Amino acid sequence: MKKMTVLIVCMLFAVSGLYATGIQEGTEAKPTVTISVPWAGAELDQFLPVLKAFEAKENVKVKYLTYRGEDLSSILPAQFEAKQSLADIIFIWDWWVKKNPQYAIDLTSLWAPQKSAFIPSPAKAGGKVVSVPYVMVAKPGFWYRKSFFSANGLKVPGTWLEFTLLLKKIGSISGIKNPIVTGNGVGWPISDVTEHFLIAFGGADLQNDLINKKVKWTDPRVKKVFTNYLVPLLVANAFSDPVEWTQAIELWWGGDYGLYFMGNWITGMVKDASDLGVFSLPGAKALVTGQDWAFIPKYSDNVDLAKKLLSFMLSKEGQTIRAKSGGKLVIRNDVSSSLYPKADQAVAAVVAKMETTVTDLDDSIGGDWQRLFWDQLKLLWVSPTSLDDVLRKLQSELPK
Amino acid sequence: MKSRLKQWRIGLSFVLPAVALMAVFIVYPAVKTLILSFFDAQGNWVGLKNFITFLSHFDTLDLSRFPSKGPPWGSLINNSIWIIIHLPTTVILGIVFAVLLNNIKGGAFIKSVIFLGMVIPMVVGGVIIRFLFDENSGIIPLVMRFLGNEALGRSWTAYPQTALMALILGSILLWTGFSLTMHAAGLSTIPKELYEAADVDGAGILRKLFSITIPMLAPVTSVVIAMTLLYEIKIFDIVYTATLGGPGGSSMVLSLQMYFYAFRKLDANMASAVATVLTLFTLAVGIWLVRRNMKGEI
Repeated sequence: MKKMTVLIVCMLFAVSGLYATGIQEGTEAKPTVTISVPWAGAELDQFLPVLKAFEAKENVKVKYLTYRGEDLSSILPAQFEAKQSLADIIFIWDWWVKKNPQYAIDLTSLWAPQKSAFIPSPAKAGGKVVSVPYVMVAKPGFWYRKSFFSANGLKVPGTWLEFTLLLKKIGSISGIKNPIVTGNGVGWPISDVTEHFLIAFGGADLQNDLINKKVKWTDPRVKKVFTNYLVPLLVANAFSDPVEWTQAIELWWGGDYGLYFMGNWITGMVKDASDLGVFSLPGAKALVTGQDWAFIPKYSDNVDLAKKLLSFMLSKEGQTIRAKSGGKLVIRNDVSSSLYPKADQAVAAVVAKMETTVTDLDDSIGGDWQRLFWDQLKLLWVSPTSLDDVLRKLQSELPK
Repeated sequence: MKSRLKQWRIGLSFVLPAVALMAVFIVYPAVKTLILSFFDAQGNWVGLKNFITFLSHFDTLDLSRFPSKGPPWGSLINNSIWIIIHLPTTVILGIVFAVLLNNIKGGAFIKSVIFLGMVIPMVVGGVIIRFLFDENSGIIPLVMRFLGNEALGRSWTAYPQTALMALILGSILLWTGFSLTMHAAGLSTIPKELYEAADVDGAGILRKLFSITIPMLAPVTSVVIAMTLLYEIKIFDIVYTATLGGPGGSSMVLSLQMYFYAFRKLDANMASAVATVLTLFTLAVGIWLVRRNMKGEI
């Protein structure tokens, strides 16, 4: 009996020893890098292949978190004051990093060697590159379902008159609530459509002058765009009341509305992207493109690995993987647009047709003014008679 | 004498950790906030300038619109409207429900359902309010359209005339559970003999309500009023998630303004000025509550 007990104990030791060795070998900790991105759902799915490719290439683990800029702006200051960072790479507006450059590491060595391959410029502060663009978004215009247009005999308008007639025609279709659905959220979809009107009827220069504060919001040129084009449509109920922007996609796709003004990320958010068509306002010679910006915080525990990942994301290999997923445009000029899915190729074609592109107005000015801009436009949308008041407030609150 | 000193030492050893924590985490930040409110971002003394800038901003008080034109009127007016509507409604509803559901079959279940509003995190409550008053998915606009009121059959949170009201009504839904629970607990402490004596004297239901129940509940009601006032003055989360203070600032409240100064404008000094004003308001409520307590009314 004693011998038996000793044997069992020895066997247990042997087995546990083997098991322990197995554990050690199987779970050898891989270096981990954490990235905070502003995307969720389909947008995040389009990005994940890039991370997977990096993990396979470098034999590391990439942990991702989703945080919106609005939330990060309240979390990061306290974290950085405590010399902590929630991630090794963080996506947030470039204006925020430029305002807080002391928290960002210099990315010049990462950007400069390949700068001729990049379409946009990086964000600089104090002579150093503090934030870099990763992907581009374009706001090409009004999206429609090709099947809806063909079923109702509708055509893409070539003039402003044709556009207004199209809206009337859509409005008269049974089951349609309003010709255009207005996306809501914190307010950016409304500012996007407003900027499109400003650029189409005031020109790219007007948008740039407003960004650079060379033109006042109360200037007759600005007011004319609102009073002659946007406000009459609002008064005529061509736009719906603001509807939460993802819910708006469902409603528009379901046939409650005919058109939806949105950026190119919509291509990854609909059931059948091949049914998507898009057109700009007749006469538009420019459109807004924006970028999603990333920086490496000074308090990252893993600066070298973070640089490696960011470098991979910006490389031709990383950008090629991203292009194939669609939903965003890549920032490199050496990645062929033929790699995009069909719907994104259409966006790239609209962008190529334009004389120029301009940066997003409220993203460029940023700060609390951006919030005010969104909020005042939400007011204008349901109360078009308050135009003078809205423009006056936008001007009075512009940061010096 | 020696034992008294020993008692003091023991007492002090119990109190000191709490005092130390309060000093570090409450007193120091409060004093620092107060100091910051009198300086600008460069550290220069500016006196009351931050307070004047804050109080004269259209998001705080828009006298060009109030009261002749419709909203937005500013956060001071909005917080006041919130108090004027929300405070009496939640207190009265709490008393009414507590009395009606007292000692009836299924009363405890209904009280639990009403109390659910208090269990839900206010951030979630804000999202619920947004959808409750949404044209496409909300029950309130649906009912209004059914009743033939097209003006109220749209998204309440999208219009300046109805955004604040949607928040206040939603908040009543969420907060009434607190008032109900407190008053229901208060009811159980009223001696039955008082009602029996009133019955002998031939008092009716209303007479008993106004002569026994409400006066006997007064201490509880005072606490409910104070806590509700503090909630209303500091209201933030449901406004942040439901409307972000819009449209056009029509549902802006003081706490949200403070948040925007701090985290959108990155102006800690202006945010401190708003925080100081908020503290003064809440302090007034606190002092009233403490005074009532000292008089033995609570």
